[in-house]
Amino acid sequence: MKRLVIFLAAAILMFGNAAAARCETTLEKISRSATLTIGTRTGSPPFAYVNRNNEWVGFSIDLVEKAILPVLAKKLGKEIKVEKKESTPQTRIPLLTSNAVDLIAETMTDTQSRRDSVDFSLTFFATGAQFLVKKGSPIKGIQTIAGKRIAAQQGSTNARIIRERAPSAKLLEFPDQPAAFQALAQGQVQAYTNDGIQLAGLKAKAPKPEEWAVVGEFFSYEPYGMALRKGDSDFRQVVNVGLMDAIESGKYFEIYDKWFGPKGELPYPLTPETKRFLQMQVVPK
Amino acid sequence: MSYKFDWTVLWSGQSGGWLLDGLSTTVEISFLAWWLAVLLGIGAGALRTAPVAPLRWAATFYVEFFRNVPLLVWMFFWYFAAPPLLPDGMREWLFDHGAEFWAGLCALGVYHGARFSEVMRAGIQAIPKTQFEAALSTGLTVTQTYRLVILPIALRLIIPPATNESLNLLKNSSVALTIGVAELTFQTRQIETYTAKAFEALAAGTVIYLLLCLTIAALMARVERRCAIPGMIVRGGVEGF
Repeated sequence: MKRLVIFLAAAILMFGNAAAARCETTLEKISRSATLTIGTRTGSPPFAYVNRNNEWVGFSIDLVEKAILPVLAKKLGKEIKVEKKESTPQTRIPLLTSNAVDLIAETMTDTQSRRDSVDFSLTFFATGAQFLVKKGSPIKGIQTIAGKRIAAQQGSTNARIIRERAPSAKLLEFPDQPAAFQALAQGQVQAYTNDGIQLAGLKAKAPKPEEWAVVGEFFSYEPYGMALRKGDSDFRQVVNVGLMDAIESGKYFEIYDKWFGPKGELPYPLTPETKRFLQMQVVPK
Repeated sequence: MSYKFDWTVLWSGQSGGWLLDGLSTTVEISFLAWWLAVLLGIGAGALRTAPVAPLRWAATFYVEFFRNVPLLVWMFFWYFAAPPLLPDGMREWLFDHGAEFWAGLCALGVYHGARFSEVMRAGIQAIPKTQFEAALSTGLTVTQTYRLVILPIALRLIIPPATNESLNLLKNSSVALTIGVAELTFQTRQIETYTAKAFEALAAGTVIYLLLCLTIAALMARVERRCAIPGMIVRGGVEGF
C-alpha cells in the first residue's frame, strides 16, 4: 500500500511537470535549455543533408545558424546552441506540436491546409515542381505523363497535384528521395517529380549527372517556409526578424551564393523576380 | 499544447475511401503472404527434422539466411535487386502491373516463412519420438508418417505461436510502404499530407490495426477450439477467450 501511494504521488508529480512544460512558451523553453532544437532533413541537398565529410549542413541550416541564431541569442541575452533532429514530411508536424523540436528548417512548402496545424515564417525560398527523367525521355512536362509511371515523394504537395491534374498517370509514392531515385534509375518509374531545385540537387549529386535531365515548366508553386508551433507569435517574430535582417543586410544573399552561386554546391542563380520578392517581404523597422 | 484536434478529417473528403483502400491492400498482401509463409514454413520446418542430412542443411540455410536479415532490406531486395534478373519484356510488364505489390508480397512471405518454419519445427519436436517410431512400425513410409501423423498433430500444437507470427506478419506489412505499396499506414500518411492532421490519421490507423489483429486472434482461437483432439491438448487458456 505504501509503495502504491509513493508510486501514485510520483506519477502525479511527473504529470504535473509535463503539464507545466506544456504551458511554457518556445522562447522560455529555448532560454531554459539554452538550445534551439530544429527538425531538418538528411537527404535534401543543398538545403539540408549530410555531406561527404559527414557534416550535417545546408542552406536551410545556415539560415538558422547565421541569420536567426544571432537575433535569438541577442533577444534572450545568452549563448544558444543549435541541436538538429531528423524530420521527414510525415514526422515534421507531430515533432513540432509535441515539442520535440522548436522549428522546422528544411524544404517544407507553406500551404493553407498546413497553416491549420502550424505557423510559418516568411518565405525563404520559392520553387515549383518539375520532373527528373533519363536524358532523351519522351516526358517533357505534366502534359506528357498520361499513362506513365511517375514517382513522387510521399507527403509532398507535388503528388497531390499529379493525382488531381493527371489522374491517368500511375503514381508511385516513396517515403524518401533515395528510394525514389533508385526506382527511376532502375526503370520502375519513368520520371520522378519533386520541387525543381531538389531535382537539380539530386542530378548534381548523381554518379553521372549528364545522364539525367530536369524537364517541364513549374506545375506548382512551392514557397518554402520554416514551420513553428501555432500561436507562438513571440518566437515567430524572432525567426522573421532574423530572416528580414539577413535579407536587408545582404547576409541572406551571401549564404545563397555559398550554396547556389556559380561556385556553390548547386549553381542556381537567383532570378531578379525572386530577389525582389524576398526584399518585398521585409517590413520597415 | 496548441494543437487543435479535428476528427472530421477522417470522414470528410476522400479520407474514408483512402482508409478503406489501404485496409483492403493490407488485408490482400497479408493474406497472400500468409499462405506463402505457411507453405514455406511447413515445408522448411518439416525438412529441418527430416532424417536426411542434406535436406536438413538446405532448410537450415533458408531459415538462417532469411530470418537474420531485416525485413526492410528484403523489401528493397525484392523490389530493386530482383527485377533486373528478369527478361526485359517481363520486367516492363511487371512494372506496369504493380511490381511493388508483388515484391512486397515475396519479401513478407519468404521472411515470415523462415520464422514460421521455426515455429513448425518446435511443434514437430514437441511430439515424442516414440510416436514417429510407432507410425513407422505400422508400415507407413517416412513421408506418410509426416503427412498423416506428425504434421496434423504439430499443426494443432503450434496454433498459439502461429497466431503470434500471423499478427506480426500483418503488422509488418506496413514496411511495404517503403517501396510504395499503398497499404494502410501509407494511406494514413496520405491523409496527413492532405489535411496536415497527423495525430487523427495515426489514431485511425492504430484503431484499424487493433481491430484487424483482434479479429485474427479471435479467429485463430476458434480454429484452435474446433481442431483440438479431445484429451490431447490442455485447453484451459483458450476457453476464457
